[in-house]
Amino acid sequence: MADFADLALMFGYAFFQRAFIAGICAAILCSVLGVFIVLRRASLIGEGIAHLSFGGIALGLVISIYPFYTALVLALFGTLAISFLHRKRIVYSETAIGIIFSFGLALGVVLASISGGFNVDLFSYLFGSILTVSEEDIYFIIILTLFVLGFVILFYKEMLHITFDEQGARLSGVPVDIFEIVFNLLIALCVVVSIKIIGSLLVSSLLITPAASAMQFSKSFKGTISLSLLFGIFSVFAGLVFSFIYDIATGGAIVLLSIILFTISAITTKIYKSFSNQIKNKIIT
Amino acid sequence: MVENMVENKIDNIKDKIIEVEGLTVKYDGNTVLDDISFEVRRKDVIGIVGPNGGGKTTLLNSILGNIPVYSGKIRLFGLDLQKFRDFHKIGYVPQNAIHFDPIFPATVEEIVSLGCITRKKLGRPLSSEDKKGVSHALELVDLYDLRKKKISELSGGQKQRVFIAKAIVRKPELLVLDEATVGLDICIQDQFVKLLKLLKKEMEITVMMVSHDLSGVFCQANRLFVVNKKLYVSELNENTDAEKVLREAYGRHFTFMFHHDHAKCIGE
Repeated sequence: MADFADLALMFGYAFFQRAFIAGICAAILCSVLGVFIVLRRASLIGEGIAHLSFGGIALGLVISIYPFYTALVLALFGTLAISFLHRKRIVYSETAIGIIFSFGLALGVVLASISGGFNVDLFSYLFGSILTVSEEDIYFIIILTLFVLGFVILFYKEMLHITFDEQGARLSGVPVDIFEIVFNLLIALCVVVSIKIIGSLLVSSLLITPAASAMQFSKSFKGTISLSLLFGIFSVFAGLVFSFIYDIATGGAIVLLSIILFTISAITTKIYKSFSNQIKNKIIT
Repeated sequence: MVENMVENKIDNIKDKIIEVEGLTVKYDGNTVLDDISFEVRRKDVIGIVGPNGGGKTTLLNSILGNIPVYSGKIRLFGLDLQKFRDFHKIGYVPQNAIHFDPIFPATVEEIVSLGCITRKKLGRPLSSEDKKGVSHALELVDLYDLRKKKISELSGGQKQRVFIAKAIVRKPELLVLDEATVGLDICIQDQFVKLLKLLKKEMEITVMMVSHDLSGVFCQANRLFVVNKKLYVSELNENTDAEKVLREAYGRHFTFMFHHDHAKCIGE
């Protein structure tokens, strides 16, 4: 087992450099989009799309197409299907997510059994791995990250308006229906970007937890996004290091760290609030 | 002579903020608004009252294009609603605006800034003019010093002023308030009436306000719309027989106790 002295050496490995770049991209996207997802009470959609992309990966492995592409196509179609089922009032959005969620998982399991059971490749897509990020993945991940981030920066205030007050945004002339579809597509891209490092079963946690931790502290929306970024990047960085040093599943390490950060944030804020309330009461009396 | 007539006609058209003709709205086959017609002129202050489920909010939502209408015509600022795109001319404070997600992390300034968004400015950052507009709106509602505070930490009355600031930041010509004072105590309602007076003076704004506070409506409005599937319109002045108007609309007798000093106290 390696120790922390190997930290510098770690970055000398090409595979770790690639994992690091992919991880930071995933952290940035998940942390930023996560704030909107949590506040729109859409946490389930990340879970649904992630499971669907698992089906896509299995499909890619079976038909020998690069799994990233099949995952992306299936995730995008799944997102549009969720929007369609909800918009046409065929079912509630959470029901649509549930159907898509189970379809993805079922497809993945059936295809895996057809191909002769789970292999190492599929396992790494399920739980994330620092070993499997290829150079091709990196280009793909960077392009998707820049695209999603560019969109969020450009339409930040419109997305904030829809998140805070959908009816008000509609009245201001924001095309809310189009934004909703695009927003879900961005989540699909974000999930696909994150799968290699975090794994499809755990990626929704990185979408939710850093944002939830940041919301414990911040008073402003911009502050919440900045803190969420900080928590997300820290969790991914520390998770990658632990994964390398202790040879544990990368996705699991990252998610556990981000949940520890959330627990510390929630407890600290509660203690701080009750302490400041006590001081206020003492001053009043 | 002809020029004067043309000018008068143009002024007359410009003066009409809202024109509604034969508006009927149905939900699942049930008629909610039945053949309603009216006009709102510049600087009017319209008080809209009526029983719960009578169609007050439906009327506002139809005017704002939020719901489909069954039949009838709606014109905003002289344009058919379908062609109307200048929604920046309308400031809107929705029903229950202050009952938003209590843990939403946004400052007062961030929320008021959202009022600057228009269809024409999508994807553009706030200009220096927008920022000045935000500061001015915050000053008008007396919240400038609290601009960096988290919105959920404000009191009910302060939250209400945030939404009014958001609605007026683009200097709208029409302000639509849907039960803006519901659930707020009498002191805050008093502040609200004063704020409305200030806005009328500063911005020469036209107001449509849905309210259950009849005394507030009688103090503020120059015209009364009583909505109960049908529309009953009445001019409001010292000769208005309030009991008669309300009896016609609600279909039952009212004894309207209205204290003259109250009007003076909250109106001046």
